[in-house]
Amino acid sequence: MIILNTFLLLLATAFAAEEVNTYLIFKNVDRSIDLTSQLVKITSTITLENAGKDAIKNFLVVDEPKANGKVAYRGVKDSAKQDLNLLPVQVEGNDQKKYHKVILRQNLEPGRTATVVLEEILARALEPYPSSIAQKEKQLVRYFGNHYMYSPYTVAKQKTEVVLSLRSVENYTKLKPVTQSDNVITYGPYTDVKPYTEDQLIVHYENNAPFLTVTNLHRLIEVSHWGNIAIEEEIEIKHTGAKLKGPFSRYDYQRDTVNSQHSIKSYVTVLPATAHSIYYRDSNGNISTSAVKHRKDWIELELRPRFPLFGGWQSSYTLGYSVPSYQYLYRTAEGQNVLTMRFIDHVFDDMYVEDVTTSIVLPVGVSDVKLVTPYQVERLRDDVKYKYLDNMGRQVLRLRRKDLVEHHIQDFEITYSWQPQLLLHEPLMLSLALFIVFLAVIVWVRLDFSLGVPEHSKKE
Amino acid sequence: MVDPAKLSRYVSPVNPSVFPHLTIVLLGIGVFFTAWFFVYEVTSTKKTRSLKKELLVALVASIFSGFGVLFLLLSVGIYV
Repeated sequence: MIILNTFLLLLATAFAAEEVNTYLIFKNVDRSIDLTSQLVKITSTITLENAGKDAIKNFLVVDEPKANGKVAYRGVKDSAKQDLNLLPVQVEGNDQKKYHKVILRQNLEPGRTATVVLEEILARALEPYPSSIAQKEKQLVRYFGNHYMYSPYTVAKQKTEVVLSLRSVENYTKLKPVTQSDNVITYGPYTDVKPYTEDQLIVHYENNAPFLTVTNLHRLIEVSHWGNIAIEEEIEIKHTGAKLKGPFSRYDYQRDTVNSQHSIKSYVTVLPATAHSIYYRDSNGNISTSAVKHRKDWIELELRPRFPLFGGWQSSYTLGYSVPSYQYLYRTAEGQNVLTMRFIDHVFDDMYVEDVTTSIVLPVGVSDVKLVTPYQVERLRDDVKYKYLDNMGRQVLRLRRKDLVEHHIQDFEITYSWQPQLLLHEPLMLSLALFIVFLAVIVWVRLDFSLGVPEHSKKE
Repeated sequence: MVDPAKLSRYVSPVNPSVFPHLTIVLLGIGVFFTAWFFVYEVTSTKKTRSLKKELLVALVASIFSGFGVLFLLLSVGIYV
């Protein structure tokens, strides 16, 4: 329903191109650019001011045309930390740029101000420089950004904080006023910046955070009404940081752990607290280097790939577990079943997933399947899957989406009708099969294959 | 989205923790009747054989074994 609504809204807005309201001013912008991980997290606290005479219902945010990487997630919250709706729109005379309209919960009256927080997560925005390094070298990356907030409105005052993981910075652009203290570079305050002002901000710094990308993730969810949901994830990972130059020495790698920080030894996957029967394997078989730690509200699974991953190296594995169905399966008053599960789950901290296909295997004999997703996903053609003792086949819903980060760990919802009597289908089928065997025996003992003449026929 | 607070949780008709016990009981009865059936088949002669009894024992054996095998699958983690 949400998808349909958004779609209708999209249609409605696509035909009526937006205009930039020049009476709206960004009175104050505090940006924080977090460069400590492989993702770029930009959090902007914006104070909106209405300098016009009419109330303002919405405002626009715009993609920076020259920005590196892609925006994997964008969200806006108001001062009460409530999510605001974002819609892609077209703006007259600016067809090249990508705009998003943010709809305010309360109209902004003339002369009033409001504060919103814009959060953007950029993936692939950090460029390793040099692009290939030896085993013992440190990983240096460059970030290309903008000294000013790229916005269709005038920004009266703004300040930008760039947060790095370490204090060692090779180089950074120095647009005054700028100060560096420890691992934070502060730009600004800059005053009265005109709309669409660009001025390149470059930071070249050391970043040894794991640059690990999930290039492909297949998530399979199998629902059984006997009380279990089985989840299996086939994951392909790749180190997308600086490539390894020269040979790899296992001896050096084992001997000093300090100098090869940019390689990935292990990482932690978080599973639901009720997960059990966990397995971790790849095409060769079981991978024994994993450890399960039970926390109060979740399970921590420390996974160690078969080999450490250096830049450009890749690996793949399968991770599976079961969860009891009572946590995810509900019944409505009308007797319909509702399944709410996560579209993707945590793989590692600050993850970036390029491509996800989630398949949901529903029980035998479902009808009236309805799907609600938390964000837009592509629905692929339904499939049919045959499992153990299955002669009817199960409907498989397949969903796909590209570019996901931790913010996309959200629940989808599937509503379907299903008859509880269908649970008896499998045991009755088994019983019938056994009964046929017994019948065959009964018939077989009545057949006479002996070559000799039967005794009783002699007597008669 | 449906509000989960308004819904009742779906609970399996059989508690998963009793699957192993059910397996033992049902499969035990099933194996007993299966054994009885085969013993009867090989020991009875054409004259003493009664189709009614054979069918009855076979039916009981197949129902108990069928459910027993199902719960065996469930208890080892093959959720059909």
